[in-house]
Amino acid sequence: MQVDATMRRLRLLITILVILLSSWALEARAQDAPSSSEYLIKAGFIYNFANLVQWPQNAFTQADSPIVIGILGEDHFGVTLDRVLQGKKVNGRPFVVRRFKSVADLAQSVIDLKDCQILFVSSSETAHVTEAIQTLRGISVLTIGEIPGFAKRGGIINLVLEDNKVRFEVNVEAAKQADLNISSRLLALAKIVQHPVLDGRKTE
Amino acid sequence: MNLQNISIKRKLILMTMLTSSLALLLSSASFLIYDLISFRHLLTQDLATQAEIIGYNSAAAMAFKDEPAATATLSALTAKGDIVAAVLYGSDGKMFAQYFRTARTLPEVLPARSQEKGYRFEGQYLDVWHDVSLNGDRLGTLFLQSDMRQWSLRAKRYAGICLVFVLVSASFAFLVSSKLQKVISGPIVHLEDTMKMVSANKNYAVRAVKSYADEIGSLIDGFNTMLSDIQQRDWALRTANDELHTRTQELEEEVSQRKKAQEELLKAKHVAEEASRAKSTFLANMSHELRTPLNAIIGYSEMLEEEARDSATAENVQDLQKIQSAGKHLLSLINDVLDLSKIEAGKMTLHLESFDVTAMIDEIVNAVQPAIEKNKNTLRVHLADEVGVMRGDVTKVRQILFNLLSNACKFTDHGIITVEVDQRREQGEDWIRLQVADTGIGISAKQKENLFQEFAQADTSIARKYGGTGLGLAICHRFVELMKGRIGVESQPGQGSTFTVHLPAQAKIETVDPIHEEGTSDIPSVVSEVKTDRDTILVIDDDPAVRDLMSRFLGKLGFNVLTVGSGDEGLRLAKRVRPAVITLDVVLSDCDGWSVLRRLKADSELSKIPVIMVTIVDNEAMGLDLGAANYLIKPVDRERLAVLIEKHRIARSSATTETNTMPVSLLRDQKHDEEVGAGVPQKR
Repeated sequence: MQVDATMRRLRLLITILVILLSSWALEARAQDAPSSSEYLIKAGFIYNFANLVQWPQNAFTQADSPIVIGILGEDHFGVTLDRVLQGKKVNGRPFVVRRFKSVADLAQSVIDLKDCQILFVSSSETAHVTEAIQTLRGISVLTIGEIPGFAKRGGIINLVLEDNKVRFEVNVEAAKQADLNISSRLLALAKIVQHPVLDGRKTE
Repeated sequence: MNLQNISIKRKLILMTMLTSSLALLLSSASFLIYDLISFRHLLTQDLATQAEIIGYNSAAAMAFKDEPAATATLSALTAKGDIVAAVLYGSDGKMFAQYFRTARTLPEVLPARSQEKGYRFEGQYLDVWHDVSLNGDRLGTLFLQSDMRQWSLRAKRYAGICLVFVLVSASFAFLVSSKLQKVISGPIVHLEDTMKMVSANKNYAVRAVKSYADEIGSLIDGFNTMLSDIQQRDWALRTANDELHTRTQELEEEVSQRKKAQEELLKAKHVAEEASRAKSTFLANMSHELRTPLNAIIGYSEMLEEEARDSATAENVQDLQKIQSAGKHLLSLINDVLDLSKIEAGKMTLHLESFDVTAMIDEIVNAVQPAIEKNKNTLRVHLADEVGVMRGDVTKVRQILFNLLSNACKFTDHGIITVEVDQRREQGEDWIRLQVADTGIGISAKQKENLFQEFAQADTSIARKYGGTGLGLAICHRFVELMKGRIGVESQPGQGSTFTVHLPAQAKIETVDPIHEEGTSDIPSVVSEVKTDRDTILVIDDDPAVRDLMSRFLGKLGFNVLTVGSGDEGLRLAKRVRPAVITLDVVLSDCDGWSVLRRLKADSELSKIPVIMVTIVDNEAMGLDLGAANYLIKPVDRERLAVLIEKHRIARSSATTETNTMPVSLLRDQKHDEEVGAGVPQKR
């Protein structure tokens, strides 16, 4: 019995060690050079979000106006996002991907602001999150980030890695302010984040 | 127990119960099946709806590859007890999330990969496949498996309810049918009881009571009618039986009476037989007693007549002739009566032998000569050439012919009497025809009717006028019948009568010892070489009167006569003398004639000497059997004796002189178709 128990403990220890090592390795790799599989998943997520989020009528100029996805900052997707979204439609609307170098570029480009429905804030823009959010205040744009604390700082959806899996946080208040209706099915899967920090300070 | 033999009451109950239960069972079953089918449909729909809901709820989780969320969604199925397993397959077909009702899941039961959407029943499970999609994008497949627990529970419950229902209604049916079956079985049972009662008690007065006017009612009516019929018949039978009983008693009485009468009759019969025997004995004795004196009367009257004729005292001759004639008449009467009584008693037998017809005719012609002459008649004899030797009873043939001729003579005066004899073939047999025709008074048609009856002469007046017993023709008739022949008559009153007798030429009845068949013929066929005294005749008789008469009569004929009273002496004398002929009586002083005859025939020296029996004892058959040449019954017809002796003498002398010519044939040649006036032999 004692031998069995010891063996079991040993096996458990080894398993944990292996998991920790592999997760560390993945983490390190993701930080160094974000893997294409991660962004493939994230591209799929973005598509799914588009499916489960309802925009107000005035968010589009026409009934068949495309859903414009803007990527702010460094583009880790490459061609992945374009490939995932190619040929796909939501409620009869195709997708269009636009890339913005900075918040200024964004603010300049999006005068009308009706030209962008989803804004993906790249991890490269960690420093300009509040600025970006401030820019988009009052406009029905679904902001998606991959920066820790993005949702708490006023972003609507934040993609996080948990146990090497992509999960997401939703700031319901922020969505409400943006006049976006997020499906309960989406919310059921999300980690809900309360009360955005208005002063823009980092939570971490 | 065989169902077919149970009582009608039970049958009815059983039938009702079976019918109602079966109907109920069938309707319940169909209802149950319908309900279960629709319930299953409902369940399927229900499961499909659930699949849709879960699919919808887990779509997002699938979209975001959120396995724990999907598992949590599936876990909501815990509330649904009948869902055994739920599995989500990804768009790549691989298992994504699963849920099992119990911990011990059988992985092999689950499909490893997703399948086509829809539902199908796998054994007792219902499988549902549902596409999971999000805004038209197919994300994967949901698999739900239900064990249809609700359905089977419902089925079980329904079956139980049905069973109870059927049982309850069966018992109700039993109650109701036990009450109602009496309508049918009641009258039948009643009928059966009545029937049993009738057959047990034989009481046909009982009647079954009719309850309803249905088929059983008419059955009961029929039964009652039948019963009353039987009752009537029974009564009639009983009456008839009583009557029969009475009759039987009467009959029994009658039978006993008859039996008594029969016994009396039997007694009477014995008495009568006794009387008859006594009569026969008396007749036999009487015939002896009558013949012995007659023998003397006739013999001596003949002698006296001859002597008177010789001494020429003519007046005496006539008187003596009357005595002689009366004696002969009396003798013939006695003979006739005796013959007839013999025939009546069935004791008359045939003695068959072969004899020469011509010789016999000659003898008779000689014998009837006096009768013919008496009425001045003429006799014509026609003897056909083909007639030769006949086989039959010569004595009886002779007597038939003699009787017919006697009658012809008697009833004819100055007329012609014709005798015709010929032989013809009829129906493959030879027949001798003897016909005697006369020109006398004839016979009327009425007289013909009783002509051959005993004691029936044509007229009583005739008897007075012509004499006779009326037995002659009756005896002829009887003899002819005995010989299987036939006799007939044709006659016209005043024109004469013709009697015709047909006799078989070769009679069939054998009564003769074969040894003597040849030897007994009138003509000895074997020639003896023993020397004999051809003129000596030995007479052996115990009656001195007979010895006297014989020696006188034969002496007159020119023979040397030796007479002796005892048999022994006769034998001695015969050896010494060797006579031509021996006459022998049966009754002798020392022994009987039969033994003497036997000894004579046993002696080789004497056996060839012809022996003529001359006796009162009427047993011709025995005499001829023992070897006698002829048999004459006393009183002796002397003329016949003379003819016989002459015949034997000539035969023997011709034999000794080795002459081959038969004297009889000579005789025949002479007499053929010749009118005979007096046929007495020359010797006379």
